[in-house]
Amino acid sequence: MKTTAVLSALLSVLSLASAASSDKKSSSTSTTLPATFRPPQVFKNANLVHVVSVEKNYVKENINVVIENIDKAAHDEYFVPFTADQLSRLGGVEVKDRKDAAAGPFVAEAAQFDQESDIQYLRIRLPQPLASGAQQTLGISYYLLKAYVPLPAAIKQEEQQFLSYSFSAYCPSAYTTTKQKTEVKFPSTNFPDYTKLPGSGAVQEFPTKQGSKLIYGPFDEKPAGAIQPVSVRFEFNKPVNHVSRLERDIEVSHWGGNVAFEERYALYHRGANLSSLFNRVKWQQSQYYSPTSFALKEMKFPLRVGSEDPYYYDVIGNISTSRFRSNKREALLEIKPRYPIFGGWKFPFTIGWNSDAKNFLRRAAGGGFVLNVPFLEGPRQPEGVEYEQVEVRVILPEGAENVKYQTSIPTTSITSADVEIHKTFLDTIGRTALIIKARNLVDDLRDRELIVSYDLPLMARLRKPLIVFGSSMALLVGALVMGKLEFKFDSRK
Amino acid sequence: MSADPLQALASAGKGENTRSLLRFIILALIAGAAIASRLFSVIRFESIIHEFDPWFNFRATKYLVANGFYNFWDWFDDRTWHPLGRVTGGTLYPGLMVTSGIIYHALRALAIPVDIRNICVLLAPAFSGLTAIAAYLLTNEMTPNSSAGLLAALFMGIAPGYISRSVAGSYDNEAIAIFLLVFTFYLWIKALKQGSMLWGALCALFYGYMVASWGGYAFITCLLPLHAFVLICMGRYSTRLYVSYTTWYALGTLASMQIPFVGFLPVKTSEHMPALGIFGFLQLLAFLDYIRSAIPGRQFQTFLWLFAGGTFGLGLLGLVLATSAGVIAPWGGRFYSLWDTSYAKIHIPIIASVSEHQPTAWPAFFFDLNMLIWLFPVGVYLCFQELADEHVFIVVYALFGSYFAGVMVRLMLTLTPVVCVAAAIAVSTLLDTYLSAKSPSPPPAHAADGGEGAGKKAAKAGLKSTTKPVVGIYGLWGKGMMVGAMAVYLLLFVLHCTWVTSNAYSSPSVVLASKMPDGSQHIIDDYREAYQWLRQNTREDAKIMSWWDYGYQIGGMADRPTLVDNNTWNNTHIATVGKAMSSSEEVSYPIMRQHEVDYVLVVFGGLLGYSGDDINKFLWMVRIAEGIWPDEVSERAFFTPRGEYRVDGEATDAMKNSLMYKMSYYNYNNLFPPGQAMDRMRNARLPEVGPTLSTIEEAFTSENWIIRIYKVKDLDNLGRDHMSAAAFDRGSKKKKAAKKRGPRQLRVD
Repeated sequence: MKTTAVLSALLSVLSLASAASSDKKSSSTSTTLPATFRPPQVFKNANLVHVVSVEKNYVKENINVVIENIDKAAHDEYFVPFTADQLSRLGGVEVKDRKDAAAGPFVAEAAQFDQESDIQYLRIRLPQPLASGAQQTLGISYYLLKAYVPLPAAIKQEEQQFLSYSFSAYCPSAYTTTKQKTEVKFPSTNFPDYTKLPGSGAVQEFPTKQGSKLIYGPFDEKPAGAIQPVSVRFEFNKPVNHVSRLERDIEVSHWGGNVAFEERYALYHRGANLSSLFNRVKWQQSQYYSPTSFALKEMKFPLRVGSEDPYYYDVIGNISTSRFRSNKREALLEIKPRYPIFGGWKFPFTIGWNSDAKNFLRRAAGGGFVLNVPFLEGPRQPEGVEYEQVEVRVILPEGAENVKYQTSIPTTSITSADVEIHKTFLDTIGRTALIIKARNLVDDLRDRELIVSYDLPLMARLRKPLIVFGSSMALLVGALVMGKLEFKFDSRK
Repeated sequence: MSADPLQALASAGKGENTRSLLRFIILALIAGAAIASRLFSVIRFESIIHEFDPWFNFRATKYLVANGFYNFWDWFDDRTWHPLGRVTGGTLYPGLMVTSGIIYHALRALAIPVDIRNICVLLAPAFSGLTAIAAYLLTNEMTPNSSAGLLAALFMGIAPGYISRSVAGSYDNEAIAIFLLVFTFYLWIKALKQGSMLWGALCALFYGYMVASWGGYAFITCLLPLHAFVLICMGRYSTRLYVSYTTWYALGTLASMQIPFVGFLPVKTSEHMPALGIFGFLQLLAFLDYIRSAIPGRQFQTFLWLFAGGTFGLGLLGLVLATSAGVIAPWGGRFYSLWDTSYAKIHIPIIASVSEHQPTAWPAFFFDLNMLIWLFPVGVYLCFQELADEHVFIVVYALFGSYFAGVMVRLMLTLTPVVCVAAAIAVSTLLDTYLSAKSPSPPPAHAADGGEGAGKKAAKAGLKSTTKPVVGIYGLWGKGMMVGAMAVYLLLFVLHCTWVTSNAYSSPSVVLASKMPDGSQHIIDDYREAYQWLRQNTREDAKIMSWWDYGYQIGGMADRPTLVDNNTWNNTHIATVGKAMSSSEEVSYPIMRQHEVDYVLVVFGGLLGYSGDDINKFLWMVRIAEGIWPDEVSERAFFTPRGEYRVDGEATDAMKNSLMYKMSYYNYNNLFPPGQAMDRMRNARLPEVGPTLSTIEEAFTSENWIIRIYKVKDLDNLGRDHMSAAAFDRGSKKKKAAKKRGPRQLRVD
């Protein structure tokens, strides 16, 4: 395993720094599963608590499960089933040991499996193979994007928005589950409709209601693959922000001592559409009487302290409805879209700002540089923001080489990472750009960091000033020579 | 005043080199000042394309950059003038777009990837720097004194008359055309002075560029022949004139015919006939000149002159006949309106409806030119004093330019260069006279013995008195007064120019600025709010109907097809929109259905007191529609019996039922307490019950209500007409049905 790690590191332009990433590399080279694959029934879920949180405009699910090895040999691969559709919307998968925080890295990844099959598996590789008969408590958390359907799909602009979400009351599992329950957390206590199930044991009817929670279960033993579709409908009088694509550029300038950020959002409201078209009078009145609405009116971007010169524009120019508060404790960019965004409406925009390179960049001990920036710095909204496609471009100075990166974003969400050349102002060979593509991220992950290390030889740093100086000198000399030359057909004297 | 140290510096350098270096630096500074003074709007607002026409030019430039030159040349635009479309590539002046395209690609090649929008925004200021230099060159041809040239460059750089069309963001044809105009004139003078074919060819080249850039090229096409004609009449025919004119005309006409939009116009329309006529006349003169030199004899010469006059007369007659026979197109409407300022109002309301086609009000001259306007005659007078060929040009240009500037506001632009040149000559002559500190070094002996006698002598000598300044002001005090006053005027001029630029010409008009109570700037951005809404939340091919003023902006910012736009090439189509706007819903709805209109956009300034709204323009819509359908639309119906144009409760029925009125005020009264609805623009209290709409529905209204967008309803699902469907939805009962019900009967089982 070590040799493959070294090989892959040598082969790719990128070599991944941490042990975790190299582990990931080696496992991703593993073979595709056969189409007839069934997860070997070597585990049993002794107890399972499935927490479905629909508090924000994406679903956060938490599966806390005590697994037990019922096979004779030790095993280290635990499979979690998803539908193909769910898997394409799945992001931010993280697994940890609930009992032992230092249990080493769990690697979760989508298993390569028959593309046609509706059931796909997420494979979790335990840090140590679980011995026969032993138990381990896993905490599997992940996000599902584009999870809700507004119901009704079109409402009036002053009405309340309701969303519905369908899932399985039995947590889908590839193994037999002895005991389980499913909890649904709602943003408020107003959830008028939900599927009712016949109870078992002491409980007459599932689910039971506790404040803003619904609890399905506890259920008795269910076989592998058992599901029980249920759906809930709840009030969500907040915008359902969906960023279908976020492009984030981080441009490092050594000469300017500056790190420039620019983010381009393709924002879309996935909530209920308007049943009758937008009415400004009602909007102005509702702003006065009852300001909560499912329309998106404002976004707040808490930037790093020391950020400056923010800008905010869209395809037809600057948008003047923004405010920037910057002081020693915070740098808060508050922006308003040009118009309130209702369900089905789009609003693409661009924001950007600068920051002193000192805040992010330092010299490494080995002579190179280390850049430590947030991977994601989206708006912080009470209702949450989901990002379907994210492309982070770290544009390093011209001539930067030996680029390595490491990030605390869950590795399942990262789809590709390449080093490319980006040509811009007065470049001769172009700047080195690290392009990381990720998908299905949510704003919970906005503090995760991205660490990029690179080397920048002295000649590369001097290249641009020398070239600019040289070419302007050449121009000057050329102009002087041209001035001395006589361009005349005949010099009449 | 600063000339003294400058002179000292120059003499310290002792050489032409130092002087030319100084001149270079001063010119560079002037160009810098010209650019800097045009950046108010970028600094105050942003780098944004202004007003209406520039949005089309910008869109065309983006198309050029994205699709390449040949596609641009063949561009058929199906997103304007729906459903007709527009052969855009063949109906525009491509010079501006191609210039920005070349700059864009050149900068890319130098690894400076500047956004095309920034190039477009800053093109006009950059070219105004070049215009200042061109004015310097032109003036230098008039006087040997280069300080006049520098002054002309300075005036040209900051004169509000030119700034009005060349601030950053005003990306219009005039942005480069004025530079080309001045530079072509410079090359013409150069060619004429030297009789040089090379300069003539260069002049033709820049003339070709000018033709590619602006419809105002006709000004050059008429002015150069006029100059030549005046010279001939003054008996100044020379081979220099022959060479330069024929070179310019032959090459320039060929160059101009390469532009698809111009095509065969140079040989077909009346505007171009003077140039052709003078060309022929010059051939004749050259021929006669040759014969005269070959064959002496007075009588023969007289005969020849008669022959020449006869030919000229015959040519003119032929022209008139050809025009009346229709071979040569008569003068276009815009040209007629140059002779008769009320022509357009009667015959072509679409031209008259544009504010920049109105005759100039006299304060505008002072506003746009300040002190130059009174220096201008002085400069022209000084030109008369010398009256070489090039001075005749200035005199002719001055006369011609003043007339046109008086007729049409926008032509102030063509007057400005000659005003700057003439004023610079005047100021530099004044300063030269009063700045030389050398007091009378040759004087006393002659002047002292009899000042009066000398004066009399001079008076007798008539005009020659000017060449021998026997009398003069030599006292330092007097000189100081004069120079001081001039300096104060110049300073005031700079102040005025800056003030005018900053206050009158630097508003993008897409964005409105207002002051908050605390003095901070508040930006009213309704146009872009609505355009962005259209762009993001309507179908890609949703057709927008609006008055033609907003066509280019909708095309540029909202990226949606429009029915009519600022190109105004099809009067009937515009009248159709006018009719839809000014008729009742029953009439408008079929029109909108036939044109596949999805949304209707109106501009309403009632809430904010914004004067440029559609209700204020409404009468033009009515007039233009009336021009085509006099039976269906009548302007009189929109005025009350007392002849007032009202929007309140006493508005006429035609007004209240018109689609425009309904769209403007729909739902507006709900914003106010009952009966309190006010139109702040027209200071009118609106009726308590607002208008109802049945064939269209409100889709979007911007924050300050400036833009209102309505969606045209689809046909009713149940096959009802919209009026009854809307009445049903409002809950009003059908009276008929109620009547039909028979008397109640007791039911017995």
